[in-house]
Amino acid sequence: MSKNNSEKSVIQSLVSLYKSYGYKLYKPSCFEEYSLYQENKDFLIGKNVIAFSDLSGRLMAMRPDVTLSLIKHSDLKQGELEKYYYDEKVYRQSTGGKEYKEVSQVGAEIIGAVDGASVCEAAILMCETLSSISDDYVLDVSHMDFTEGLLGEFKEGNKEVKECLKSKNLHDFKKLAQKYGYSDKLVKAFEIALEAEGEPKVALKKAEGAVLNEQMKAALNSLSTLCARLESFGYGDKIKVDFSVTNNADYYNGEVFNGYVNGIFHRVLSGGRYDKLIKKLGKVGGAIGFALYLGELDRYFSKEREEVDYLIIYDNFCEDSALKAANEKIKAGYSVRISNRDDGAVRYKNLINLADGESKND
Amino acid sequence: MINIALPKGRLGEKVYSLLAKMGYACEDYSSDSRKLIFKDSAGKVCYFWVKPSDVGVYVQLGAADIGVIGKDILDEYQPDVYELADLNIGKCAMCVAAKNDWVDDTAMPLRVATKFVNVAEKYFISDGRHIELIKLNGSIELAPVLGISDVIVDIVETGTTLKENDLKVFKKIFDISARLIANKTSCKFKNAEVKALTENIKRAIEENA
Repeated sequence: MSKNNSEKSVIQSLVSLYKSYGYKLYKPSCFEEYSLYQENKDFLIGKNVIAFSDLSGRLMAMRPDVTLSLIKHSDLKQGELEKYYYDEKVYRQSTGGKEYKEVSQVGAEIIGAVDGASVCEAAILMCETLSSISDDYVLDVSHMDFTEGLLGEFKEGNKEVKECLKSKNLHDFKKLAQKYGYSDKLVKAFEIALEAEGEPKVALKKAEGAVLNEQMKAALNSLSTLCARLESFGYGDKIKVDFSVTNNADYYNGEVFNGYVNGIFHRVLSGGRYDKLIKKLGKVGGAIGFALYLGELDRYFSKEREEVDYLIIYDNFCEDSALKAANEKIKAGYSVRISNRDDGAVRYKNLINLADGESKND
Repeated sequence: MINIALPKGRLGEKVYSLLAKMGYACEDYSSDSRKLIFKDSAGKVCYFWVKPSDVGVYVQLGAADIGVIGKDILDEYQPDVYELADLNIGKCAMCVAAKNDWVDDTAMPLRVATKFVNVAEKYFISDGRHIELIKLNGSIELAPVLGISDVIVDIVETGTTLKENDLKVFKKIFDISARLIANKTSCKFKNAEVKALTENIKRAIEENA
């Protein structure tokens, strides 16, 4: 069962959630210098941004993302830590389309002296964020040091191997293995990394068989600690290990996450640790954060929203009776619509036709 | 219930026969019918017939949990899906072809006619060759014959059409075969069904090989 029934109510409950964890609201400007996005375009989901010259001739852009602005304007010193949430509009090219669209984005970021507790708290917030849409969700977790540690062992065809890992494509990987003459050990490690998915304890145990270097070993230890913590907090059945989850290694390191909700057929949340972006922008410390992709949620909730518990039909002779009946039902907690005809404008569970004195269930 | 998008035509029919033998049959299935959706009475499986180039869209958007798609279309449109198996059927190759006597004039941009603009662009960029793309929707072989392009990038199965038009393959870009793809969300919430079907179909392909 959903705790919310619209995108708006999801946003409201998330704002309360992040505040209850002591996160501060971050309110960026709608515009940023274009160079920020141009220099970090691989960090963005879409490469195209809306650019324009401002009154002093500077090339500006409508922000396609909030995280970059937040990091750019942060002024944390060594050892300091700050937690922010945001609820903003971003401007991106529509998926598969040729026009730009305004998209609502909600997310949270921890920046500065990020430690194990910060990573665990961020993962808990990701679970709670998904749960604000539906309890039927999955949070996939992986570790960049595990996947990059594995990919680094492939001296040739590295990019193609990464594509195979991301799409769980074992058959084309085997062709690459033949083409480049990968060792049996390397082939086996890749196969295990693909197979090691699902319930964390089982998957992480299996993944030990893929470890080829210290980087991968440390990543598995880190993932085991995180998953054990999340399990102890009651999120064990929601967390799944999946090493096909990977991200741009120029920006991300450490744990990376993707969130899915049953009934929404694309990723609704993505997150991860991005200490490398912090360094790239000349700041100190690390960072972990996530964003929830809104926009499709209203469609997801639309079935529930369009339905009322009762439709009451009235005519000129029973207007007062209809109003009274509706009022009683609404006070009893039902949703009711009164109408002088069943014109198909709304779906209903029960119909009360006062015009001819009938009542029936649909 | 598992929803499967099949490409209309011979390839889709072949895959359906394979799946039917594995226990995923629909009583009212007919390749001649104009009906586009078939469900079995037990509620185990539902098939959609879709245009081959649209299979990726149906799977990415979750209308179908899994689908069967050629590697050519997969590389051209790159839908965000998992690629779970090579079905080893519908085999052909993506090739660069031109007139038998064609010689590359490197002083000029290469004029490339194709349906697969993304594939062509990616290939020639990696090759460092400056090109002019001409997007066509069919009878690609005509383009070099009538002089509007220097080469074509297209699927070659037997090479007969090329031969009959005095064209030949100059370079094979990649091999093509039918692939089993799956929606990412379906793999999370229908994991057992998707895995079972994938393993069954892989086994059937190996046995048929």
